[in-house]
Amino acid sequence: MPALPPLASLAQLENSPSTDDGLPAVLEEDLRAYGCKLIHQAGILLTQKQVAVAAAQILFQRFWYVSSMKHFGVGDIGMGALFLASKLEECPIRMRDLINVYDVLLQRAAHTIGPKADTPFKYHPMSYFGTAFYDLKESLVVAEMQILKRLGFNVHVVLPYGTLINYLQVLGLIKQENACTKAWGYLNDAFQTPVYALYQIPTIVCAAILLTIRHLNISLPSEAPNCWWELFDACWEDMWNVCGYIMRLYRERPEAEQKRVLGLVSKKDVRRWLEDNVPDK
Amino acid sequence: MSTELNSQGSSTPSRKRSKWDEDDDTGDLSAPTQIHLPKKRPKHKTSRPHSERKSSSPSPSPPPPPRYNHSVYVPPRTRHPAIQSSRSVYCYERLNQIEEGSYGVVFRARDKQTGDIVALKKLKLDEEKNGFPITALREVYALMSCRHENVVGIREVVVGDTLTQVFVVMDFIEHDLKTLLTNMPSPFLQSEVKTLMLQLLSAVHHCHSNWILHRDLKTSNLLMNNRGTIKVADFGLARRYGDPVGVGGMTQLVVTLWYRAPEILLGAKTYSTAIDMWSVGCIFAELLLNEPLFQAKGELELLSMIFKLLGPPTKNSWPDYFILPNAKTITLPSPQPPAIRPKFPHLSMAGIDLMMSLLTYDPEQRMTAEEALQHPYFTESPLPKHPDLFGSFPSAAAGEKRRKAFDSPSAPVRAADYKLLTEYDIP
Repeated sequence: MPALPPLASLAQLENSPSTDDGLPAVLEEDLRAYGCKLIHQAGILLTQKQVAVAAAQILFQRFWYVSSMKHFGVGDIGMGALFLASKLEECPIRMRDLINVYDVLLQRAAHTIGPKADTPFKYHPMSYFGTAFYDLKESLVVAEMQILKRLGFNVHVVLPYGTLINYLQVLGLIKQENACTKAWGYLNDAFQTPVYALYQIPTIVCAAILLTIRHLNISLPSEAPNCWWELFDACWEDMWNVCGYIMRLYRERPEAEQKRVLGLVSKKDVRRWLEDNVPDK
Repeated sequence: MSTELNSQGSSTPSRKRSKWDEDDDTGDLSAPTQIHLPKKRPKHKTSRPHSERKSSSPSPSPPPPPRYNHSVYVPPRTRHPAIQSSRSVYCYERLNQIEEGSYGVVFRARDKQTGDIVALKKLKLDEEKNGFPITALREVYALMSCRHENVVGIREVVVGDTLTQVFVVMDFIEHDLKTLLTNMPSPFLQSEVKTLMLQLLSAVHHCHSNWILHRDLKTSNLLMNNRGTIKVADFGLARRYGDPVGVGGMTQLVVTLWYRAPEILLGAKTYSTAIDMWSVGCIFAELLLNEPLFQAKGELELLSMIFKLLGPPTKNSWPDYFILPNAKTITLPSPQPPAIRPKFPHLSMAGIDLMMSLLTYDPEQRMTAEEALQHPYFTESPLPKHPDLFGSFPSAAAGEKRRKAFDSPSAPVRAADYKLLTEYDIP
């Protein structure tokens, strides 16, 4: 029997440390998603393996059930998570490469919301021995250590891909055009949501399949007592919740809301935002 | 369709309390699903009628809510551990120092809450240039993912005042097999050797099926309690492997010399579970001989000792030998038959066969842990002794008696190992 990965408790779900510090739940959700996008983009720029990127995103999501965004920035923790997950998946990356890549991503984000947003973005590399590099390196080491410590060193993650292929095979959908690609995509998008820290893998995979078959108009037995998801020990409410988390990613947002997260990457930004917007705190 | 989902998912998803409640898992883990497992219902029916929710017997009560039984592979959610931060090292009271190695110091300590005696291993983290050392990470990861009756149990990882103080908390085990062997007046009995070997093989099989290579199996890394149970310990060189093996490159600086498989000695770039099985073979021999099988001072001496005992490798016994990097630099002695039989005069034919299968040159043909567990040696007379019937010994680690183990070489030094890892492992 393989070890089970940790999942957030009901108490942790009801009150996250960030909302306890006054951060609105919607903003925390947006920052989680943005932090995961940064990890994903950094992974692509570093040509890192997807298993490491996915593991990093899961660790990142777990972290915010034991830590507040007032005390840790999503940029730093994302960088630490990718560094750590790369070691865990036996494909370590160089600190300098990771730091450079995050520097590009953060400079670009700052440019997008800066005064010269209408001009093309030009990256200014940091100097090789400059303090900027050593500051980022220090944050990276601290972030990695904080993730380990706050997750109690239980960094076991289970990825959904193998399970998806198995289930599609059982359902006879593996040869169905687009079905696998679509479900795979939903699973990858789900990394931007907290579901991997909340639900078991079979539930998440079933949710991705549910979205896929609805989208592609494929019908599977769904009337009690013959429900296809029960083959995989998923239950409808949980599956439907996961679908909700995923579909929320695709909703239309005003531009201001979309850009809001770009300026809240560090804990300093979040603190300033809290001072300006949450007078009681 | 998507709009419908949108509206549904527009708030924090509703929660179904029963999925989270503690009482959710009443007997479900052992209950079979309709599809995954064969029926074993009737047994439960007589003993625990209350856990029977889908009972077909006529009952006047209203029909229970529709429930299905979980597969063993998908236990109830409540079985998953919660996300929990490390506790402080001050939850433990330090007792005495057990040993100090290149990896750090091991203390005996008492849990202030429960009074349990544990082993605290302090990880060496200073002077790290690449963040948390990958070797320490592998060790903690391996221990956490390989929980087994015969693997030393990790309780938690605790931290000190600063970020550089990290302690792994493990079950305290009284003895290590090396010290026991050294101080024992007579070697283990055949029946005892069988029990120990079965335990070792079952632990190694468990690690391998969880994609972990131990890479430093030896008698001093096998702990033994006073109830005849051995526990594999020190996963400081362990790492995950995959299929195909060797993704990212693997270092050859593994396994303490005496227990090192010939393919590593000959510079193989990739290796797999077979290297652990060679070490198991060496341990098997050591249990019978009461001293290490190959007490070589260097790699070349070790190779010549192996060649002498097993006969030099041939095209038949090890087809890939001649393409290994270091094979060209070695001149093979003239062909001679294996000398295992005279070395172990009291071992049965089945025992000799097991030894030869473990000490097979070709890693592809070497016996796996799973196969070895089924070997006839374990079912022939004398049968394995029940662990409870083992005698108990004074524990050196608990300070009951000063140990005096003879010197054995240590595993390749961690610092050097790490340097090499960063060179080789990064593409």
